[in-house]
Amino acid sequence: MKIYNYNSLYCLAFLLMFSFVAQAQQKFFRAIGTPHEPKVEVSWNRYYTYDGIVDIMKKINKAHPKTTRLESIGKSYENRDIYMLTVSDFNTGNPDEKPAMYIDGNIHSNEIQGAEFSLYTAWYLTEMFDDLDFINELLKDKTFYIVPTINPDARDNYMKEPNTPHSPRSGMIVLDNDGDGEAGEDGFNDLNGDNHITYMIRKSPTGQFIKDPQDDRRLIQVAVGEQGEYEMLGYEGIDMDGDGEVNEDGIGYYDPNRDWGWKWQPDYVQRGAYKYPFSLPETRAVADFVMKRPNIAGAQSYHNYGGMILRGPGAEEDVDTYNREDIRIYDAIAKKGEEMIPGYRYLTVYKDLYSVFGGELDWFYGGRGIYTYTNELMVSYLYFHENQGRGNQEEELKVDKYLTFGDAFVDWEEYQHPQYGTIEIGGFKKNFGRAHPGFLLEQDAHRNMAFTIYHAYQTPKLSVLDVNENNLGNGLREVTATIYNERLMPTHSSQDLKYNIERPDLISISNANVVAGMVVEDDDFNKVKEQVHSPEIIRVPNIPGMGAVKVRWIVSGSGNYKINVDSAKGGKASWSK
Amino acid sequence: MKQITVILFLILSPGLLFSQADYPDLKDISKRLKALDKNSNVSLSTLTKTKGGNDIHVLKIGKGDLDNKPAVAVLGGVEGYHVVGVELALQFAERLTSQHSDALDQTTFYVFPNMSPEAYAQYHAKLKYERRGNASSQDHDRDGRLSEDPYEDLNKDGMITQMRVESPLGKYTTHPEDARAMIKVDTSSATTQRFLLFSEGIDNDKDGQFNEDPEEGIAFNKSFTYKFPAFEPFAGDYAVSQNESRALVDYLFEQWNIYAFISFSPANNLSSPLEYKASEAKKRIVASPLEHDVAINKMVSDLYNKTISQKPYMQDNKGTDGDFFQWAYFHFGRLSFSTPGWWVPEAEKDTTSTSKIKDTKESNFLKWAAQENLNDVFVNWEKIDHPDFKNQTVEVGGVKPFVMDNPPFSKVDSIAIEHTNFILELTKHQPKLEFHNLKVENLSGGLKRISVDVLNNANLPTHSELGQRSRWLRKIRIDLSASKENILAGNKIELISKMDARETKSLSWIVKGNGKLTLKAGAPHAGFAEININL
Repeated sequence: MKIYNYNSLYCLAFLLMFSFVAQAQQKFFRAIGTPHEPKVEVSWNRYYTYDGIVDIMKKINKAHPKTTRLESIGKSYENRDIYMLTVSDFNTGNPDEKPAMYIDGNIHSNEIQGAEFSLYTAWYLTEMFDDLDFINELLKDKTFYIVPTINPDARDNYMKEPNTPHSPRSGMIVLDNDGDGEAGEDGFNDLNGDNHITYMIRKSPTGQFIKDPQDDRRLIQVAVGEQGEYEMLGYEGIDMDGDGEVNEDGIGYYDPNRDWGWKWQPDYVQRGAYKYPFSLPETRAVADFVMKRPNIAGAQSYHNYGGMILRGPGAEEDVDTYNREDIRIYDAIAKKGEEMIPGYRYLTVYKDLYSVFGGELDWFYGGRGIYTYTNELMVSYLYFHENQGRGNQEEELKVDKYLTFGDAFVDWEEYQHPQYGTIEIGGFKKNFGRAHPGFLLEQDAHRNMAFTIYHAYQTPKLSVLDVNENNLGNGLREVTATIYNERLMPTHSSQDLKYNIERPDLISISNANVVAGMVVEDDDFNKVKEQVHSPEIIRVPNIPGMGAVKVRWIVSGSGNYKINVDSAKGGKASWSK
Repeated sequence: MKQITVILFLILSPGLLFSQADYPDLKDISKRLKALDKNSNVSLSTLTKTKGGNDIHVLKIGKGDLDNKPAVAVLGGVEGYHVVGVELALQFAERLTSQHSDALDQTTFYVFPNMSPEAYAQYHAKLKYERRGNASSQDHDRDGRLSEDPYEDLNKDGMITQMRVESPLGKYTTHPEDARAMIKVDTSSATTQRFLLFSEGIDNDKDGQFNEDPEEGIAFNKSFTYKFPAFEPFAGDYAVSQNESRALVDYLFEQWNIYAFISFSPANNLSSPLEYKASEAKKRIVASPLEHDVAINKMVSDLYNKTISQKPYMQDNKGTDGDFFQWAYFHFGRLSFSTPGWWVPEAEKDTTSTSKIKDTKESNFLKWAAQENLNDVFVNWEKIDHPDFKNQTVEVGGVKPFVMDNPPFSKVDSIAIEHTNFILELTKHQPKLEFHNLKVENLSGGLKRISVDVLNNANLPTHSELGQRSRWLRKIRIDLSASKENILAGNKIELISKMDARETKSLSWIVKGNGKLTLKAGAPHAGFAEININL
């Protein structure tokens, strides 16, 4: 007895001592909105290579085994695993049966920050679980499938090899771009060896440009009739194959975002299309995964650039696919997104951007009935809270002068070119312009994540609202159940309903002797539609968003029955008497 | 040794060809492919295995530099129920190698004998029906249940025909000239006996439809990207979703020398050519063959009708959504031709008939079959008990499966000979590049001017009008072997996007130096010409 007392005294002493020490060493004070002292420390102000991303994914999975699952959904062309984190509360039902949100990034290899944004989402959700009630409920109800990069090969090429801000964009398959029978024989050449492909200029009596006397980084065009000093020679490179062209056949070119299976068109209609839908291993991996997961109800893909929340259709020819009921839901979610992400506008691809056949968002919606957005990350607005437009040289030079202090620009330097003679090489680095500078990264990641959380929140949530029983005499009872969907999205988008993409929702009664079953179309006037075949499982085509359906059974005998709701995109719900 | 086998094969092969009494089964086909593979000009390979475990084969047939000779691809088994297509493709390969191997000097051939092995096998199965789909599991009616409403052989005759139910709700009646055939009710005659008409089976899932979700998968000929009918039965959720379609397309994209396709499939643009529709051709998503390509189709169609004795009759299938033959043109940019090889000929007119009712495909077939003394083509209507139509008169019967799409086997050889001849005739018009009028002029200071004409000495252009737009056809590349520094004028490499039939292009260079140069022009699908130049 005494020993115990001493022990507890010791314990108390230790406890006091440690808490005192801890207090003395406490270094952090919680910032609202950010995981405080997270289990996995990640700097969200830099970019990660493929290895860096996989490393973080593994750490998240290791630190949060009850809310994550890590798996490879397939291999890339160069045999890298395409990793996915599934995030959900694994203690509250099978994550593959909950309404789910799919998120990917980096389909265009040079549009890198989508990977960090996706990863931030996985990190935030896992670190905030058990900390915020809202996140607890979200992960109890929903599942997030997060694939930070669906173009791992060319992501690494973009980072590790010399590139422009716009290359490679495709994956690493090398095609014959000039039709001469040879593939990739004349790509960029990093002449000055700085791992950036910048511009070549040359002094010339017929040049139309001069260096701005106030800022010699900048080339300005002379007025008509004036003599200039420089001519532009394009991106760094030499004519490798002797055909008189420079940089005409490098990596690619094809566009992974023209490889998806809704109204796919060949290359002569849609430049960048590869061979047929999902002919690229990376898009195939995603498609195979999505086909296996009918619980995906919402999806997001991250691109850059432009500050846009985009919905389809990608092409005018496909306008009829997007009908009014679904556009209402698209509008509601995206308009909220515009509020959450200042500087971003909600737009439609075909009319506000350009025409795309075979794009990812069109397949997710047209081919699977999933409400899907593409966000074009980064926009000039984030620099000075002004809209100066894309590639505004003046603004970008100002950014590099006052905010990044010369980190973004390669100063002009002379170079002896084997074909052009004396030239100068310089210009903006590949990781400026499209990519956020580090100090803007975390905020924009958080805001975009918040948009996807709102989107995920609005996937269907079903419950058996009430069950009424009516005695019909002769040992018969009439059981009427109301199934309620308390979120914006229906269990089947109108596109889904048009083509019966997913199976109907099944509302079943068990432990009852069913005489007849029916859907109640109008309870007040008893308009019903009987289902003759297998009446114990009523098949309803849809449960609308913020709406309900009623089903009715006539059962004989007594006994306590159970009602189950099973919806591919709406999840499961049940009720027991 | 190999020669002896070839000679033995040549001696034996006619025997092989004519020894069969019926269309081959998958084993027979495999044997014939192995026999073909023994020929030194043939290499047999397997592209993939289907879900059902069958190999998809290709025969690559040629001599010498196979990949740089213009090539024709021939396909059979495009539709599983079109069994004659497989036999025609096989016989083409057999006749080509045994009797026409000289054609291989100019042309390479790819023969894909059977693209639908599982559907094809239904011809020899216990239960025979005209099957399209492969062995994958599909939910054709998209109700969330797989293959829940297949066919049933109600009269136990080993084949699926039709069933008719006497009912005032029916939309069909009997043909006045042949009561066996069913026709749509003429609304003006109210008194006729009416029937509901279904395929033979039970409504297993009680949804009011019969056999709408059979135990078969995706149809090869409904799974390609041109006008892909997403979510329709036999098409699936997205295009090119099956092992066999993917493997074929992947393979084709690696064969740069194919300039034309011959599909033995239900569509027919050989008996008569496709039409040019300007408004459809000018759309961004091209929906009509382009004008110059229609002219080529016309020329080839004339060639077909000269070579093939059968006269066109009721050949109205000009392509269906998601089919292979249209894909090969619209999405692969190659010349693409399709013929069923055989169709039911027009039966001789019955001069005594006064009926105003036109012949339907079925009534014409029955008339023709009678004239040909083909007695085994019809299952007579016979009453059965049907669980879905209690107390109603239900009869099972109708034209037997396969007989309207495939000729009696005894007729196949002559059809195969004619079609082999047609394909060989076609290759005589293929692009052929030649150099003419080579001149070397000496300029002062050791400089030389080389001039030459390159001619496409053929009736076909090097690129179809549509193919010219495709990145998957190479340009005509002209290479002069001189080093870049020694060429003062002219291009070391020049790319030409197309040469029309009989078109000439004049080229010239100024070079320095002496010795021998070579000039080469061509593309794999147009062949290559080479000439030596002595400076």
